[in-house]
Amino acid sequence: MASLAVRIGPLELRNPVLSASGTFGHGLEMRAFTPPESVGGLVSKTVTVRPRPGNPAPRICETGAGFLNSIGLENKGIDHYVREVLPTMADADTVVVTNIGGESVEEFVQLAERLDGEGAVAMLEVNLSCPNVQGGKLPFATRPEMAEAVIGAVRAATSKPILAKLSPNVSDIAAMARAVEGAGADGVTAVNTLLGMAVDWRTGKPGLGTVQGGYSGPAIKPVALRCAWACARAVSIPVVGCGGIAGVDDALEYLAVGCTAVQVGTSSFSDPGLPGRIAGEMAERLDAAGVAAVTDLVGSIRDGSVRDGAGAPAAPRGGGPCASRT
Amino acid sequence: MRRPRGRPQVEPAVPFAAASFADGRARTRGILPRVPAPPPDARSALAAVVSVEPCGDDGALVRLRPPEALPPVRASRFFMLRREDGTSPLIPRPFSIYRQPDGDLEFLVKVMGRGTRALAEAPVGAPVRVIGPLGNGWPTLDGEGDPWVLLGGGIGCAPFYLAIRQALAGMDGAAPVPPEGVTYLFGAATAGLLYDLDAVRALGARVEPATDDGSAGFRGNVLQLLERLQAEGQVPRRVRLLACGPEPMLEAVRDHALDRGLDCWLSLESLMGCGVGICNGCPVPTEPEGPLGAWPNAKCCVEGPVFEARAIASCG
Repeated sequence: MASLAVRIGPLELRNPVLSASGTFGHGLEMRAFTPPESVGGLVSKTVTVRPRPGNPAPRICETGAGFLNSIGLENKGIDHYVREVLPTMADADTVVVTNIGGESVEEFVQLAERLDGEGAVAMLEVNLSCPNVQGGKLPFATRPEMAEAVIGAVRAATSKPILAKLSPNVSDIAAMARAVEGAGADGVTAVNTLLGMAVDWRTGKPGLGTVQGGYSGPAIKPVALRCAWACARAVSIPVVGCGGIAGVDDALEYLAVGCTAVQVGTSSFSDPGLPGRIAGEMAERLDAAGVAAVTDLVGSIRDGSVRDGAGAPAAPRGGGPCASRT
Repeated sequence: MRRPRGRPQVEPAVPFAAASFADGRARTRGILPRVPAPPPDARSALAAVVSVEPCGDDGALVRLRPPEALPPVRASRFFMLRREDGTSPLIPRPFSIYRQPDGDLEFLVKVMGRGTRALAEAPVGAPVRVIGPLGNGWPTLDGEGDPWVLLGGGIGCAPFYLAIRQALAGMDGAAPVPPEGVTYLFGAATAGLLYDLDAVRALGARVEPATDDGSAGFRGNVLQLLERLQAEGQVPRRVRLLACGPEPMLEAVRDHALDRGLDCWLSLESLMGCGVGICNGCPVPTEPEGPLGAWPNAKCCVEGPVFEARAIASCG
């Protein structure tokens, strides 16, 4: 059996499959569908300093090829999270990642300090990139110096490893990745949702209560894959790919472009058993391709200059990613 | 009664309840999980289409065979359904359990667009992802208090076939409801949208149809019909109400019940992303001083879809 373990900073993950923030609750309540021990990690829904009741309905809108949401980070705040949620996560047999969101550097610091002493939390994911707050302005995700300020301050406030979650809604995501690497992030999560919207021209009614929101699902995979690849080329810390993963092959594609791990998001709504299933199928897929360790696949894309040295896995005859040939 | 806009953010006094009423056991409010969670009996399974029968002008009865038969499911609980052969949209759609014939799951599907059409046109054998049973379901329909009046509007009839059957058979160890103790008022725009009317009539309870165009039964809506029957002395003034239907109907039923101080439960339909409490896409505004606690939204999927009328500030 192919070895699936990967490392992010000081942490070893049993396999490279995690849940994506906001699409899996806190993770543990989903154990009847995806047991915690079946995945590499569980990423919580974003926790904020104060309770947030979230955005007005409608908050979700499926479109022709994907899914729009504008939840607005509904959550009960850090006090509730520490008091009610974390005790249930203490025995979770997986890497527990808490995703934190703030509207100022100070709020991010406050959250990081609060969680630093919480043993149940193995890693923080810093949500620099939610499109559904602050009017979609994405201040921390679009300006490298602001991302650097947040990550630097969080780095100083916690001993836990940090993932910086980036937005695809930028012109140069590599610059963002370099900025957070320089500020001390242990890894980069690429990417959050794309800004999007829907409207009914007959009624003039927008699909979301906030008009614009975050676009996700298999439709965004090529966009997100490029973002992840651009990050992987730009930094030497691990990149966690996220966007449109609906099956094990999607996950392996992210590894091929240089990601160390992946997060499964919207497709967990199609089947909450999916993260566990993807992780379960991964060894079999690698065995069939003659890949001994999942880490051998990382960055193996040809002519994509993600890494030096290690050879690509044996390419199967024919095939290729272009559906036009099928 | 409406919540003023812009209410202050408050720390909730009561954690979210994720109620589960598997196989018809009593509704208990004693043990609440610390985080909102899908019901413990919910599973994700791949079922196969056994049959699809047309029903009414635009509906279908879709019968699915899960890999393992489920215990009896409480009426007005639901399942998320999605074909897994590439024909369904990305997000599954919620459907009330309609019947459970011989261990299969049967759903009444009104064709509204891509998601419902994929199910209504599924060939025998097509694989369908089935996530459930989800949500809470109707309260215990007992035969000991005021009579029950069930108000169904259009496809909102889906949770009532099983409700009548379970009420007449006895739920949760309570006294069964005698046939004269339950009146089902089934309204629709027109006769062809009174889905499966003959089957529900055959259950033995009193069933009175109503149509907007008068093509079958009473001409008018179910609340007008209720008031007519009460004026004629055929239904008492003190009743317990269950309702499921379009949002304006539910708002009217809610106002009717609150004005008269009647016990009333509403089964809400909401857009849902996941059905299991993780996407926060199905908020229902809660009554600030109501039984759901201080948090301004309830999750329709795990705290509903059945809500007490007094617990919510609006139906969507």
